[in-house]
Amino acid sequence: MSTQDTEKLEASIHRVLRSLPDRRAPASLEARVLAELSRRAALPWWRKSYAYWPLAVRVGFLAGSGLAAALIVSGIFVLVRSSGATALAGDVAQRFSWLILARELLAAAGDRIRALVGAIPPLWIYGAVGAVALCYATLAAIGAATYRTLTFARQNP
Amino acid sequence: MNDEHPVQNQDSVRGPDGDFTTFMRKYQDMVFTTAARLVRNDAQAEDIAQDVFIKAHEHFEMLSSSPAAGGWLKTVATNLSINHLQRYRNRWRFFSELGGRSDSEGEDAPEVEFAAPDTFFEQVDSDERLAWVEEALAKLPDHQRVPLVLYHFEDIPYDEIARRLGVSLAKVKTDILRARAALAKILSRGGDSLASFSS
Repeated sequence: MSTQDTEKLEASIHRVLRSLPDRRAPASLEARVLAELSRRAALPWWRKSYAYWPLAVRVGFLAGSGLAAALIVSGIFVLVRSSGATALAGDVAQRFSWLILARELLAAAGDRIRALVGAIPPLWIYGAVGAVALCYATLAAIGAATYRTLTFARQNP
Repeated sequence: MNDEHPVQNQDSVRGPDGDFTTFMRKYQDMVFTTAARLVRNDAQAEDIAQDVFIKAHEHFEMLSSSPAAGGWLKTVATNLSINHLQRYRNRWRFFSELGGRSDSEGEDAPEVEFAAPDTFFEQVDSDERLAWVEEALAKLPDHQRVPLVLYHFEDIPYDEIARRLGVSLAKVKTDILRARAALAKILSRGGDSLASFSS
């Protein structure tokens, strides 16, 4: 097809498509929209987004949040500078000493697994990886073939 | 516009909600048509149209006095429809595009046979002819129909369509050309070809 034909076709199709009138919206659309708007309007303010909260509540929320943040920061500051902070840190470390034991157990298990994998001949590992890849590809092919067959059947009954 | 509208009580017709009802009646066909031509499913198009008007209600103060309200609604309807199609496409793209010839990119332009374009829309004003075109448009596969609608109805340029659909520029051009060719074939042969086109 020449460029001239292409341009002619584009112009003609454009004219035909633009001549199409709008389709009529379903009669239920208006009722659905109004019902949804009524439902949203009936929600209490605390179930709506922040922008819909009353001004006094928004101001109160901001002030409360600021106060809470200031209290937390100053509390941490006081705690770190106090004489009991070192004792508290020791106490916390003692309470969570089981974490160190868990880390050592995990490291030992990791060493064991590494030694076990090292003892397996590489050919076996490659074979296992190949088998898994083959199974995955087969499943993907079956899925794709089934989907395309069903889609084709639906589009061409 | 619809002649049959749901019965409204007097309270909802007066005041801002009443204005919104009038606003919605003015634009609902356009919004629904925009969505329906893109998603090709009336139920989904109605859902999208509902979302569009919910958003419009949130901005009604601005839209009620704006001469660009129609454009705003069309853009939102188009964006929501594309989002809807993208979600569906991402869900199924692996299986549907695996080895699929129809979605291949950058192919040469197809050979198209059609009657002289000056003649095939001679009778296009007849209702029957318009119905053929609408039906033929609905039967195009998504990857051809969506860019065609965006280009010819929404006046979005090729590169912008490619960006919004996340495909290459070459694919957009090829798909639109094929879609035009398919439509031209139907129009040049008349209604009889519609059945063969769908098979």
